[in-house]
Amino acid sequence: MEMDWLLLAEVSLAGLGTGGLYALTALAFVIIYKATRVVNLAIGEILMLGAYAFFGLAAGWALPWWVAALGALAVAGVFGAVVERTIIRPMLGESPISVFMVTVGLGSMLVGVVELIWTADPHRLPEFMPNTPILIGDAFLAPKIGYGFMVAAAVIAVFVLLFRFWRGGVALRATASDQAAAYSVGINVPGVFSLAWIVACMVAAGAGILVGSIGGISSTMGVFGLSVLVVVIVGGLDSVPGALVAGLLVGLVEALAGAYLGGEFKLLATFSLLVAVLMVHPYGLFGTREIERL
Amino acid sequence: MLTMTRRGFGGLALGAGAAAALPFGGGAWAQGADIVLGGSIPMTGVFAFAGIGIHAGISDYVKIVNDAGGIKGRKLRFAFEDTAYKVDASVAVFNKLVAQEKPTLYYGDSTGFSKTINPELERNGGMIMAGASFASELNDPKKFPLQFMAGPDYTEMVGILLRYIAKEKPGAKVAFVHSDTEFGRDPIATSEKKAVEQGLKVVEKIVTPPGSVDISTEVLKLRRAAPDFTIFHGYVMAPIPEFIAQAKQMGMTSRFMGTFWSMDNSMVQKMGDLADGFMGVMPYRYYYDTEGNAPMLAKIRQMRPEYQSTAYMQGFLTAMLMTEAVKRTLESGQDLNGKTLKASLNSIKDFDTGGIIGVPISIPGNSIPVGRIYRADVQKKLMVPASDWIKLEA
Repeated sequence: MEMDWLLLAEVSLAGLGTGGLYALTALAFVIIYKATRVVNLAIGEILMLGAYAFFGLAAGWALPWWVAALGALAVAGVFGAVVERTIIRPMLGESPISVFMVTVGLGSMLVGVVELIWTADPHRLPEFMPNTPILIGDAFLAPKIGYGFMVAAAVIAVFVLLFRFWRGGVALRATASDQAAAYSVGINVPGVFSLAWIVACMVAAGAGILVGSIGGISSTMGVFGLSVLVVVIVGGLDSVPGALVAGLLVGLVEALAGAYLGGEFKLLATFSLLVAVLMVHPYGLFGTREIERL
Repeated sequence: MLTMTRRGFGGLALGAGAAAALPFGGGAWAQGADIVLGGSIPMTGVFAFAGIGIHAGISDYVKIVNDAGGIKGRKLRFAFEDTAYKVDASVAVFNKLVAQEKPTLYYGDSTGFSKTINPELERNGGMIMAGASFASELNDPKKFPLQFMAGPDYTEMVGILLRYIAKEKPGAKVAFVHSDTEFGRDPIATSEKKAVEQGLKVVEKIVTPPGSVDISTEVLKLRRAAPDFTIFHGYVMAPIPEFIAQAKQMGMTSRFMGTFWSMDNSMVQKMGDLADGFMGVMPYRYYYDTEGNAPMLAKIRQMRPEYQSTAYMQGFLTAMLMTEAVKRTLESGQDLNGKTLKASLNSIKDFDTGGIIGVPISIPGNSIPVGRIYRADVQKKLMVPASDWIKLEA
């Protein structure tokens, strides 16, 4: 069979596009883990909450899409603050498994709340992205994937800069590297914990709006978080660059497997990648060595 | 995952049933014990949209039967519990209801449940069962002698679509897009052969992992296959809308089609303008359909002024056919058990469903191989008929 280079290019673009969304959600996961050492398994459900909040504001209250998007981010931010202060902080010092299980329970509660308010019916988000296809050379890129990628890339770039230069970002990094030392130089460590949850929930909500605008929303869309778990394990739980690289890599591998082997091989390919990376780098591609494996 | 149990629901329904029976007075049901229709119904979870419709459809038909004096003077009672669409929960509900209620009729919620419970159903021997599954595998009276489905099985649904395609555009190129689930894979292999028999060309088969939302690579493959018709199977909604959106953006001219569970009017219309021209197979008339002689639809509209889903119609018709089987068994003076009920069900020939299905139906085996092609009209926001009723011969 003759090689169809255009197909390869298009498939790769689509894979990288999806990878951008993985990277964005993985970023939310990593922010919380880095700052608080909490493995937050509810990240997929927080993403769902963001998508539903957007749906409620944009479709239910008929607000313009950008107002609804800001509103959804605000809802997620408040949610993050409340959860951190009332549920996660009292759990500090408990065994990591307990905190981990609390986040599993939190995910279930969110599914329940969403089903109570919006029922279990799948919904479509209002269209807010341009729908003319993007052509890169002769290669076609679906507009939602393309614009979704651009938004994700922009948000990620902003965060990388914030981490580097903003006081809050520096405080977060300081807390991540040594809590006691951060305390002793006067950093408000509990404040950093709150900040990490607020910011991560907002990032996840943003990713939820993008993911939901592509595939529609339903109370089961939290399974997206499962793919993201693979991404953060491959990248290293506490590594922002790891989340980005692994996000793109997993997206690309999934797309290539789907196109050349068939859709039934997508998950197989992703998890094979996971196993392969862990065998060579048990802490993920960019992870810190002393991370405790759960 | 959180599952809300709705244990209270069964009690509520029973209460409502009892209230409905009050006008007849206490002794009106004295001629025999209640006939119980048991149900493992997915009121919560991923299949809740269907479960809620099914519950309403069965409840309404039961009410109609009892308002008219029951079946040969015996009251029909619907006893069910929520399963959250989980096979283990469905089995637990089944065991509990069989012990407490002695049902002679049963409604199951999934293919998995129908297959799991089959040996137990045969061992029990006291009831017949139908359900939400249209799995081709269940359409085998030898393997599943006490089960049936109130419509065509998935292979027959695709068969009806292929029949339509072969007539509209002989030699057309067809692609199948299906989910990588038992439900999604069900009709594909057989339908591929059926398509060739109809003189059609199957140019692509695309599998999507369960729960996947991003199908951009799959659309790229579909475009290269350039089908005239694309048949989706194994989905309720996602990822069909995004598939159609990206295909249209790429200038594809394929028509898009679906099977029963992706054909509910409220679901299709959620696609907005993308739904324009979306077609599919539906064995029942839609709630709002006023053409032809359909007294049952008129009755449903009178009982429930707001739109009812196709899942509602499925539950309603299932209860109707079960009632008919009980009636025929009692009329012939036989005991009510699985064997006699199934024989009575199979004696149904050229039966008038009151317009729920547009043609008289027969149930020679485990399915009703009848359906019609409907097309989405986005201006009217309705599914409108695109063909006459199509009957497949065995």
